[in-house]
Amino acid sequence: MKLDITVTPRLRFKLSPLAWILLTLMGIAFIVSMIRYAFGIGAISDLSYSYPWGFWISFDLFTGVAISSGGFLMAGLVYILHIDEFKPLLRPSVLTAFLGYIMVAVALLVDLGHPERIWYMMIHWNHTSVLLEIGICVMSYLTVLAIEFSPVVFEGIRLNKIAQFIHKFIIPFVILGVVLSTLHQSSLGSLLLIQPAKLHPLWWTPILPILFFISALAIGLGMIILESSLSSRYFKRGLESKLLAKLAKAIPIVLIVYLAIKFGEIAYSGELNSLFTSGTMSLLFWLEIILSALVPIAWFAFKQNRESANRMLLGAVILLLGMILNRFNVSWFAVRHPDPLTYLPTFMSNVRYLPTLPEVSVSLGIFSAGILAFGLAVKYLPVFDSEHEALKEAPANSGD
Amino acid sequence: MSQIKHHAYIFDATRCIDCRACMVACSVENQIPMDKTRIWVAGLGVMGEFPNLTRASMVYHCMHCEHPDCMSACPVGAYHKREDGPVIYNPDVCIGCRYCMNACPFGVPHFDYDKGLIEGAFIDKCTFCPQRIDIGQEPACVATCPTDALVYGDRDELLKIAHERIAAHPDRYINHVYGEFENGGTSYLILSHVPFEQLGLPTLPETPVNAVSEQVMGITIPFALSWGAVLAGVTAGVGLYHKLKDNQDASAPDDTAEDEK
Repeated sequence: MKLDITVTPRLRFKLSPLAWILLTLMGIAFIVSMIRYAFGIGAISDLSYSYPWGFWISFDLFTGVAISSGGFLMAGLVYILHIDEFKPLLRPSVLTAFLGYIMVAVALLVDLGHPERIWYMMIHWNHTSVLLEIGICVMSYLTVLAIEFSPVVFEGIRLNKIAQFIHKFIIPFVILGVVLSTLHQSSLGSLLLIQPAKLHPLWWTPILPILFFISALAIGLGMIILESSLSSRYFKRGLESKLLAKLAKAIPIVLIVYLAIKFGEIAYSGELNSLFTSGTMSLLFWLEIILSALVPIAWFAFKQNRESANRMLLGAVILLLGMILNRFNVSWFAVRHPDPLTYLPTFMSNVRYLPTLPEVSVSLGIFSAGILAFGLAVKYLPVFDSEHEALKEAPANSGD
Repeated sequence: MSQIKHHAYIFDATRCIDCRACMVACSVENQIPMDKTRIWVAGLGVMGEFPNLTRASMVYHCMHCEHPDCMSACPVGAYHKREDGPVIYNPDVCIGCRYCMNACPFGVPHFDYDKGLIEGAFIDKCTFCPQRIDIGQEPACVATCPTDALVYGDRDELLKIAHERIAAHPDRYINHVYGEFENGGTSYLILSHVPFEQLGLPTLPETPVNAVSEQVMGITIPFALSWGAVLAGVTAGVGLYHKLKDNQDASAPDDTAEDEK
């Protein structure tokens, strides 16, 4: 008797090219981070005594937290100000924030010298440390986001009762989430307050936390536009253009306040002349201001730009690029570290920092995982669909 | 045992001959591996225009600040300042975030970039040799210095000595004791014949660099509580408003809420 050993595969995964690319990047990041855990941070990065923080902190922490600000913004608009029409944008923003903070946490596990001790932040408190505040806030907010997002998961696995039960108690968590977000979004700015001798005076100001919070609002608005536009393209679903246009209307207002405070402070501290006399730093500063504020203010002030999906996306991308440049400037480009080896400030010595390819690949891999997780969540969980039902029904319906 | 109330040392750049014996003594005393060091000596070479040439070198280690920025910055409190001066690092709670390296204006703490998870990567910095000073001995670097460029003693007395040296040779010294007031005062006092910037020392105000961030941290909890209260009030208020409005008429519930934004 002949043994039939052919097995017909019942499950065949067909992955899109994008998914393949993302999985490859994740695999590379995994291998690189294993090398880091075995041989040390120096084995994969260009970080040094002079540059203890580099690309990871600027991109994963500063940018990652900033672009996750849409979550608390939408939750605040919907639950605290009861603007129910924004409900369709709530779930995707909370999802983006949730994934964003998970990415921040994972990235920190690579960057920290002792990732296995990250929970020490919960038991050893040094109350003068800004980093402690950020750690506590991010950990708590991650929990809050999990609670805020959990109804979506329970609906996805058809446990609507539990979803409704959680939903009843959501308001206190939303308030807690907004408070925690306000604290750590601004505290990322406070993180650099301890470097008055290192951070360029164009960026170092005692009101850094306020600037960080206001710019986080603008970034949140930009991210909601970006993520809705991209997912509507990729998943071929409808776009909430009217809602997005309303959000876009707020961008110039937020940015004008931001600019006024920023330049007001520079003028008040008498640094106006360094706007033009600091060489590369002045150039970086103006590039940042133009991209992050001047262009978006002008762009989103025009009605025809707010009505076109393509132009909205373009405007959001410019805004986000500018704001990301701001985070990089503050945490990296404009920071001058002394060089302990020769005891000379960096600008006098030849110590340079250039992120290595493995270093960047870790961040890319984590970012890819986030995009993949977003795609999977949108595919298998009612992130968008139930919202469209909600759109059709009366918005005040207590369904979710 | 020792009658020193506040441990400190002077470094006199005019006396340093760049022999680097302090580095060796430190590494031997504290069993530092060959490729690491807690002291750096920077020979700055010949400076100035002929014929007014001068040389200088700088011995550099932890300044043991009176208001340490590393201690202020560390999220888990791995640093503490002893009442008699030394700033001590405790590896047992360190999470390796390297914020202390960012915070320190002198760039003192350094990190084991070449150690993986199993070996354990830690911060390292000068400890002021507590194992020696606590039994009345000088720190290893001071004990070995052949030219007395490094002098150990009580901070107040050393300040007196420093000013006496400047007064005795005003032509030789710059009339300033670096570390007397810089960054709120340090326990490593520096005398020099060349400007302190040329030794690579940052120009710092008398307020420690952690002043603003500690102020901000001080108002964080009150701010969080009042912000939470405001948000709760707004939530309740807007909710009540909507309820009343819904009761009055069921039409157009949305337009009014927009004014809030």
